[in-house]
Amino acid sequence: MNHDEWLDKAEIYATGALDGEDLAHFEAHLAVGCAVCEDHIRETRELLTHLPRSLSPLTPPPAVKVRLLDWISGEAAPTLQRPRVGWLWWGIGAGALAAAGLLIALSWNLYETRQELQRLEGRVATLKGELAEREANLQFLTDPEIRIVQLAGLPSSPGATGRLLWNPISRTGLFLTIGLPQPPPDRAYELWAIAGAEPVPAGVFTVDRAGRALLRTPPLAAAKKFDKFAVTLEPAGGVQKPSGPMHLLGSL
Amino acid sequence: MSSDPSADSVLLIQRMKIGDREAFGRFYDRYASLVFTFAMRIVRLRSEAEDLLQEVFFQVWRQAAHYSQDRGSPEAWILTITRSRALNKLRLLRRMEVSNQETSAGESGRMENAESDAKIMVEGALAQLPETQRTALELAYFDGLTQTEVAARLGEPLGTVKTRMRDGLARLRGLMGVNTSGGFP
Repeated sequence: MNHDEWLDKAEIYATGALDGEDLAHFEAHLAVGCAVCEDHIRETRELLTHLPRSLSPLTPPPAVKVRLLDWISGEAAPTLQRPRVGWLWWGIGAGALAAAGLLIALSWNLYETRQELQRLEGRVATLKGELAEREANLQFLTDPEIRIVQLAGLPSSPGATGRLLWNPISRTGLFLTIGLPQPPPDRAYELWAIAGAEPVPAGVFTVDRAGRALLRTPPLAAAKKFDKFAVTLEPAGGVQKPSGPMHLLGSL
Repeated sequence: MSSDPSADSVLLIQRMKIGDREAFGRFYDRYASLVFTFAMRIVRLRSEAEDLLQEVFFQVWRQAAHYSQDRGSPEAWILTITRSRALNKLRLLRRMEVSNQETSAGESGRMENAESDAKIMVEGALAQLPETQRTALELAYFDGLTQTEVAARLGEPLGTVKTRMRDGLARLRGLMGVNTSGGFP
């Protein structure tokens, strides 16, 4: 293939639109190392920044900046770069002082390296956890036993809707909802699996500002055959029997 | 500070690396409108765009230490973060929208209504592209469609779409005075 053809693919790759065999071939080309294409992708991405710049600008709400500054005030610095000990100065003095200074500098560097290692180990552990969770979700979603239950909004939340991906064999589910109103601070929503007339708690959740939530339900009792699912508004910690208004309801 | 905005932004990121919150505030002031506008163009919902704005800048703060100028300008970096997060959110919203439509035909207008939130005018370089080239680029860049999906959406052969995208980028380069060997003059 003429290299100009790779550059053509590099441009479409930079927009994120390359797919199919073109993508597979181009990624294989990149994998063997092509600095020219890498540069062309980088340059095209810079060029593409002109597309959002071509939109007439909107003003973001000032509250967002205030919230962000509040958040980062409670955060440690992203990576605290401590000033390096000027160990060369120590070497200028007498031999004993130089040796001591060098030892201090090396100890400090060792301390920093250990801190960084600990931070990276923590990050790796977090990523492993996220990966395991995604794999579990993928495995769940690809199970042929999955049934889809649509939950419709009731008069308490007519604009809300929900979808439960339910596995009747493992009696576990993945519940997504949108449009529920924000609950008061001392309240939360509770999902119920209903066997006949008997509701069983299936998880407590709150919603974001758009009224959305995603909930993975724990395995429920094996002896029951659940055929309806509902969401009610309950005290924040959840309850064993529904006591509040019902917001969503759907049948298997 | 340097008079070069990009170099100035690199300095702000370097200060963020050591926990300088004032630098973060200045970086936010410089890019918040661009990020918010871009997010609105993709997700078309004000509440979602506000969430994205927060998420993007929080990520910038936490990942400032990992930024490398070798991989692109600060602007390309923050716009890449914004686009990635916004397209993920858009896909989630589309899935939810399909669910809504299946549940209740009466609710299917939610996204259409929301679109009126995002009447964003296109101007500058993008507005100077021929309509066919602009549409192909917009569908890929702002709507996250692949070249095959763009072709299906427009009812055009895949080869035509590829040509339009490449021609559109070439024209954009010409408009912006970018030479093809890379880098801005």
